[in-house]
Amino acid sequence: MIYVRESHVEKMGKTQDVSYEILNVLEFNSTRKRQSVVCRYPDGRLVLYCKGADTVIYERLGTGNDDLNKVTRVHLEQFGSAGLRTLCLAYRDLAPDLYESWNEKFITAKSSLRDREKRLDEVAELIEKELILIGATAIEDKLQEGVPNCIQTLSRAGIKIWVLTGDKIETAINIAYACNLLNNEMKQFIISSETDAIREVEERGDQTEIARFMKEEVKKQLKQFLDEAPQYFCSPSGPKLALVIDGKCLMYALEPSLRIMLLTLSLNCSSVVCCRVSPLQKAQVTSLVKKGARKITLSIGDGANDVSMIQAAHIGIGISGLEGMQAVMASDFAIAQFRFLEDLLLVHGRWSYIRLCKVVMYFFYKNLAFTLTQFWFTFGTGFSGQRFYDDWFQSLYNVIFTALPVVIVGLFDQDISSSLSKKYPELYKEGVRNMFFNRRIVAIWACFAVYQSLVFFYFVSLSSSTSRDSDGKMFGLWDVSTMAFTCVVVTVNLRLLMMCNSITRWHYISVGGSIIVWFVFIFVYSGIMTRFDRNDNMFWVIYVLMSTSYFYVTLLLVPVAALLGDFLYLGVQRWFFPYDYQIVQESHKDDADSINTPDSEETKEHLTPDEARSNAISQLPKEVSKHSGFAFDSPGYESFFATQFGKYVPPKAWDVARRASMKSKSKPK
Amino acid sequence: MDTDRERHRARETAFYLFTQQSLPACKPVLTPGWVIAIFLFMGVIFIPVGLVTLRASHCVVEIVDRYDIDCVPEPSRMDKVSYIQDDSIPKNCSRFMKVHKYMKAPIYIYYQLDNYYQNHRRYVKSRSDKQLLDGQKYHDTSYCQPVESNNNRPIVPCGLIAWSLFNDTFEFIREGAELKVNRKNIAWKSDRGHKFGKNVYPFNFQNGTLIGGGKLNPEIPLSDQEDLIVWMRTSALPSFRKLYGRIEEDLDVDDVVVVNLMNNYNTYSFGGKKKLVLSTSSWLGGKNDFLGHACVFVGCSSLTLAIIFVLLHVKYRRPYGDMSYLPWNRKSFSG
Repeated sequence: MIYVRESHVEKMGKTQDVSYEILNVLEFNSTRKRQSVVCRYPDGRLVLYCKGADTVIYERLGTGNDDLNKVTRVHLEQFGSAGLRTLCLAYRDLAPDLYESWNEKFITAKSSLRDREKRLDEVAELIEKELILIGATAIEDKLQEGVPNCIQTLSRAGIKIWVLTGDKIETAINIAYACNLLNNEMKQFIISSETDAIREVEERGDQTEIARFMKEEVKKQLKQFLDEAPQYFCSPSGPKLALVIDGKCLMYALEPSLRIMLLTLSLNCSSVVCCRVSPLQKAQVTSLVKKGARKITLSIGDGANDVSMIQAAHIGIGISGLEGMQAVMASDFAIAQFRFLEDLLLVHGRWSYIRLCKVVMYFFYKNLAFTLTQFWFTFGTGFSGQRFYDDWFQSLYNVIFTALPVVIVGLFDQDISSSLSKKYPELYKEGVRNMFFNRRIVAIWACFAVYQSLVFFYFVSLSSSTSRDSDGKMFGLWDVSTMAFTCVVVTVNLRLLMMCNSITRWHYISVGGSIIVWFVFIFVYSGIMTRFDRNDNMFWVIYVLMSTSYFYVTLLLVPVAALLGDFLYLGVQRWFFPYDYQIVQESHKDDADSINTPDSEETKEHLTPDEARSNAISQLPKEVSKHSGFAFDSPGYESFFATQFGKYVPPKAWDVARRASMKSKSKPK
Repeated sequence: MDTDRERHRARETAFYLFTQQSLPACKPVLTPGWVIAIFLFMGVIFIPVGLVTLRASHCVVEIVDRYDIDCVPEPSRMDKVSYIQDDSIPKNCSRFMKVHKYMKAPIYIYYQLDNYYQNHRRYVKSRSDKQLLDGQKYHDTSYCQPVESNNNRPIVPCGLIAWSLFNDTFEFIREGAELKVNRKNIAWKSDRGHKFGKNVYPFNFQNGTLIGGGKLNPEIPLSDQEDLIVWMRTSALPSFRKLYGRIEEDLDVDDVVVVNLMNNYNTYSFGGKKKLVLSTSSWLGGKNDFLGHACVFVGCSSLTLAIIFVLLHVKYRRPYGDMSYLPWNRKSFSG
């Protein structure tokens, strides 16, 4: 039983609470695209109320009332071109016996154990017909704040953006205009199923005929657009291409025979808008690009109908918010607003790529330098396999002596700050082209590792051929190897500092700490002789070494000689063949460090509501076109649609306060 | 306002900076100025260091004399191995070493062996350090195979390293008077003190059919057997020197030192060489030009590179930080 406050039937200006009994609720699902409720009036009358998308409601209307239907259809088109989201409402009076018989079927379907969804749909079909149209509603659904900027930045970064929505074609085109995905200079290819030719065939009613005809139409249009497209490519300053296709046509275009044409055409377009797509088609389109074009795909969505798309793509991102947490639970990453995608990709994605490349390269390099030193030693041992380093040195090399610095680099390295990353989104393309981890880079690091290992081994062993102690004593194998190992640890850690773009205090601590840990370890290890030592142990080796001046001269010389080649390469590369991010670094080298004032944008003065509105209105697009997408502009001003019709709705006090407080948190456009 | 201030304070805590990836960092950018400055700095540091090191190496005087071929008498030169293995032939040999430069005491005597792989894996393994400390009480000497025991009695010290002890001896005579050779204190103090037991005596040593090297006096504990200690510190390369003793007198220019040596050690079976070295020592040790040359080379090449960079900088000046070099700003960029 629910109570509805309605205006009093008899007394003017007063309200009354009328009770209605809700008998059945036919829930919404995306296949039916509608929902209904059966209720009983206080006087016993049974009514079915139905609300849903205009196509499905119109299919189920009864005869009679054609005038109202036509007028409403005109209104719906007007609403659509203004970019509003529309719904139709209809009702049906039910006779009690009809209702009873239907209710039995409904209860059976609801309590069935198998195929419950399908059975409920079938039962709903039985009653949702012969409806009488009440009217249509239109909703202004605002885009989230910062979406158009974000999309523009991402397309500058070389990311192609497709919109897959369940809305009508007009609404979808409006949204695309608002997001800067479409503009009037683009050449638009539209494949729609609402042309007159198709409607004509549909009225004839023959399903196979409709299917065949639609397929032919879609094929013809795809071919025509594919032939037209190349001529726009020839001129580099020519208009960009855009494709708009709706769900029914997509159904035929995704078939194996037409799929390749669709893929080729859509990959040539800078933006693609698909409207009226079902969740399954969203996933199919994503898989088409993922497998057909072999590109990395990312899908972002916020509702339950986006879950299949999120799971089909390489990376799925869910926006947590008003529509529930299903998208978030199915996704790889969850963000709170759409505009954070820019941060996620351009800042953190890019940094992660750079850090990964550095960490992996460094790991290979340090192990290569370390192991090749042993390799050169085998030439001098008669190839007998005597190891150059002590076992513990080898085991702990990657665990203690060189491990922590590279972890710190992997966590903190930033080539340019986050604000600069967003200012120059084109730097993202460096990652797409895999410029930091390709064969050339690996070969260069490997060459330097070989060079360094030669320096480590030969400098140390050739200089130990005569006595190094002022008292004439000679070094043994373990003295030479400990000397070499010390040089390796010091050099490899210093090389890490050379390849960092930003050095925090943790870098100093970890690099210095690793070297100090090595010394502490060797002091302890060679200072203690226990019962459990192996043969040929390293007793007192480091103290012997450190009592000679040779140790200090070599420790000065060998790391410098080893790193000379790397330093030269870095200097030459940066000077003559700089990467893009290095040029950006250079030009912003002297910028003030802005990390300690992240809230500088928050301290703008508050605008009064009038100023805010005129500010926002002056920022509307100036094109003279049916599509301006203003319905979707960011919050901050009154409904322009309403003002256009002369209906100036005075803002409510709570609304003004809400918007004022939102403005203080927003970034400047 | 309060929440703003609180938020601002929270933003400065170390944990917040850590998790928000905004740690204060120094962002070094390698400008051409820095490159040139660093190369100059390295040149300025390393050339003097190299020159000092070279000087230290040059003031060491070294006399090297290879004696293994010449000490085998002519008739036996065809079959040196059987000569050296024949115990009945006395192995005395006299060599003459002429001093070409004034050598200040102490003068160190080394024997140098070439093509002798003391760093071979099986050789390095073949010892038992615990037995050196504990003597016969220690039983697990399996690494010393095949020189572990003889006639069912353990060998102390066991292993191939001890078994192959170098046993050539040298005596030095100058102008008829014998030069006193100090054979004490030739091993590292840590070895003498901690690695070789004071109560461990050689036992059943070199008693087998195959003689590998010198014999040890069973009366002297291992910690005083300095030849053994020096020999057992295995060397890193196949060509090495080991300290034999010290001469505590000066040698003048043109002195002729007569060396009476006993050519006992067999290096002929594997083509090894034996040399005798007399050398003084400096603060950096013996005569080795490598370090000095390397330092000077690094210093000179740094200076050369600095000069080259200055010339290149003058000639090919790329405007620093010029954004028009970015590919998307260049006019010919097409996508």
